Amino acid sequence: MNESARMIVVLTVIAMVSGGLLAAVYDWTSGVIAENQLKEMESAVFAVLPGAVRIELLDRGPAELVEDDPKASKETKQAANQVFVGYNEQGAPVGYAFVGEGNGYGGIIRIMVGVSEAEGKILNLTVLSHSETPGLGSRIEDAGFRNQFVGKTLSDPIAVGRDINALSGATISSRAVTEAVRRGLEQASAVYERSR
Amino acid sequence: MRGVIKEFFNGLWKENPTFRIQIGLCPVLAVTTSAMNGIGMGLATTFVLTCSNILVSLLRKVIPDKVRIPCYIIVIATFSTIVDLVMNAFTPDLHRVLGIFIPLIVVNCILMGRAEAYASKMPVLHSALDGLGMGLGFTWALTLIGAIRELLGKGSIFDRAVTAEGAATFGMFSLPPGAFITLGVLLALMNMINARLRKAS
Amino acid sequence: MELFLIFIGAVFVNNFVLVRFLGTCPFMGVSKQVETAMGMGAATTFVMVVTAAVTWVLQWFVLEPFGLPFLQTPVFILVIAAMVQLVEMFLHKTIPNLYRALGIYLPLITTNCAVLGFSLIAAQEAYSFVEAVVFGLGAGIGFTLALMLMAGMREELRFADVPEPLMPTGIAFILAGLLSLAFSGFAGLV
Repeated sequence: MNESARMIVVLTVIAMVSGGLLAAVYDWTSGVIAENQLKEMESAVFAVLPGAVRIELLDRGPAELVEDDPKASKETKQAANQVFVGYNEQGAPVGYAFVGEGNGYGGIIRIMVGVSEAEGKILNLTVLSHSETPGLGSRIEDAGFRNQFVGKTLSDPIAVGRDINALSGATISSRAVTEAVRRGLEQASAVYERSR
Repeated sequence: MRGVIKEFFNGLWKENPTFRIQIGLCPVLAVTTSAMNGIGMGLATTFVLTCSNILVSLLRKVIPDKVRIPCYIIVIATFSTIVDLVMNAFTPDLHRVLGIFIPLIVVNCILMGRAEAYASKMPVLHSALDGLGMGLGFTWALTLIGAIRELLGKGSIFDRAVTAEGAATFGMFSLPPGAFITLGVLLALMNMINARLRKAS
Repeated sequence: MELFLIFIGAVFVNNFVLVRFLGTCPFMGVSKQVETAMGMGAATTFVMVVTAAVTWVLQWFVLEPFGLPFLQTPVFILVIAAMVQLVEMFLHKTIPNLYRALGIYLPLITTNCAVLGFSLIAAQEAYSFVEAVVFGLGAGIGFTLALMLMAGMREELRFADVPEPLMPTGIAFILAGLLSLAFSGFAGLV
């Protein structure tokens, strides 16, 4: 076999074996990864919907959620359209929760927002994950910043500079969270209304 | 056989990739905010390094010289991605903290360096031990730096608080400048230790 | 406006070398003289900009549609290796002096964590094509800036009386730490 042909063959074989191996490992791990994400979401939902003891995923069946590409949250700039409904012990809906995503400074910021059933007011907000600068953008986790969103409804502007104060020195982080909340609220409330 | 064992210990001190050869420094500075992160990153890198050294050594007579670099890249990138996927599934918290530095293992100069300089020329056992030694040398360097930065920056070691609650800490050590300075001072200390050892012998 | 923020962010606030810790090896290796640093920085920036374009196309037209996100790392790094080869051949023909001055550090651009690092970040952040290219440009320029500042300092170091154990690299790292401290002043700029 002449030299060029041998180069191509060896490269191709190695590439194909690697590709195959990676595909296999990916298959094996993607189930576990999706499960982890589901568990993480569930505990966040319980945190933002006080009084809820049972959650249901709206708009998509549970099977669909697990088959979702675990890297899907990386690619969207818009809020992931997953709405969770929380039911209290009496079986009545407490409200719904949604995941919002925004482009922060160091990466995507993911938040979980809980909205009340009765008046569509935001009950609570937790930061699921972020890569913001420690000490600056990471202060989006502070209760002081997050509490600004409690009580807001669709009729509020929910915008930095209007009804939300940005963290000083962390404009991008603050804006990312605010927009994630607003866009997510618009989409999620629409989904929730449709389902009633 | 003795020669082989010596190879292993080589990577731990005499040719420690971090303190002596000074390659593969990006993760050393970036992930050493705590001792635990240091160990995690170190072990992940050790795994990739050992596996890729073994595979490169196994294939050393098969890979044509002209395409050896792309071949090494594919091998290293494959193991690097495997570690990324497995850590995402089974150690998600560590995976999140280490972030992009896990896939960046592939461009850690240590790996390409050892593949090119060693594994492509030596038999499998030697290459495996070399990878293991270099990797563990890297790991203890990372852990040491991580421990120092964690202690000074957060007042804890391995996530267990050492200083009193609310005591002042040198927050700077958890941030980028602290990383550079810690490494610089440690390098100076290592030099001093080596100079003493040489005088003694 | 967004583009400007991305650019400023990459050059100053989240400088790739001094804040993100990407590109430390060449930062330490090539920063002994200002001219070499400039050449290295320019070559790296060029590779980054081209890589930004190519990896963007591959990510959104091949990897994602065909459901192959796990091939991202191998594909990106192979693209980078190819780009560096091209730049090497180009410099060898057009600016042979620079080619010789950079020596072994030119092929080492492939293992520069900043190049692979920024392309992974751009994919993660789902930047548009233009945003990705601007990000690459900013990353390269920030890298060059850090490199040149460091080279300037190390040139001065030749006249300083540095204690023995700190030579040759211990003092370089401490200098880098001070430089990083200075750059942390940019935090909160945007």
